[in-house]
Amino acid sequence: MPDDAPLTWEEVARTYGRKIYNFAYRLTGNAHDAADLTQEVLLRVRKGLAGYQPGSFEGWLWRITRNAFLDDVRRRTRKPTAALPDEFDRLSSLASPSPDQVLAKVRLGDDIQAALLDLPYDFREAVVLCDIVGLSYDEISATVAAPIGTVRSRIHRGRKMLKERLQ
Amino acid sequence: MMHPSELLSALLDGELSERERTQVNEHLATCSACGDELNGLHFARAAVRSLPLLELPAGSRPAEEELGDVVHMTRRPPVWVAAAAAAILALFVGMATILAPPTTLEVRLDQLSDQYGARTSLEPAITPRTPVPVLERVAGPIE
Repeated sequence: MPDDAPLTWEEVARTYGRKIYNFAYRLTGNAHDAADLTQEVLLRVRKGLAGYQPGSFEGWLWRITRNAFLDDVRRRTRKPTAALPDEFDRLSSLASPSPDQVLAKVRLGDDIQAALLDLPYDFREAVVLCDIVGLSYDEISATVAAPIGTVRSRIHRGRKMLKERLQ
Repeated sequence: MMHPSELLSALLDGELSERERTQVNEHLATCSACGDELNGLHFARAAVRSLPLLELPAGSRPAEEELGDVVHMTRRPPVWVAAAAAAILALFVGMATILAPPTTLEVRLDQLSDQYGARTSLEPAITPRTPVPVLERVAGPIE
């Protein structure tokens, strides 16, 4: 899609809604939270399109998505009971698996998702933006407002930690 | 070259410069430890990329009532812009008609001849080539 082509809100929702949902789901592991976040992002896009200056649309969109996600995390941090049950269930299901269990389950989506959720946020975000959303390192750098060397390091260290958990 | 650990993921993603890529590949040809690390990174990358792209659940798009007073953005100007432009234009035309001073209309017979040929034919003495008087009148419909 050309960077300077203005989009209608409907086009953004149709083209990016599913990607935004997947980004949110892979960061949170929670379908309900991901749907809420997608709705919030689309609302912000709708409001922000009026002031959008032609440029890197994807960079603009993913910055909005990331900010909405971080706002949501901050809101939940103030109300910890909203997020804790899922977190405890997930952690208890991972407690002390035998090596055979790990080998039998590795590569199943749930395990990959659980391994993703175990990553520190910065690493998880960089890996998801790279491998789920499909952004280049330059685009990730612009989205998370970090130097490209930092992005490179986060992706690398995130993958190393994933490998340790999955193999 | 030292072990280029942090460059290995970028190598997988095609995010190295030509020079970096050459150096890393030369190192990999002689370092089995980095080769093993590359395989592990490739595994982790493939695992995340194997996750299915989930469908957006129904109802995840904001409902119309939630959009509230948000301006409807399309490539075309909104309807209210066209309506406002038409109203302003109509206002200017109306004001110009009301405020304009009386003007002199010059009605030339040859123009009338073209438009109302049947009438001029009743007066053979008058032709479009005859010098004609200039009729003066204030602005108003031609009767």
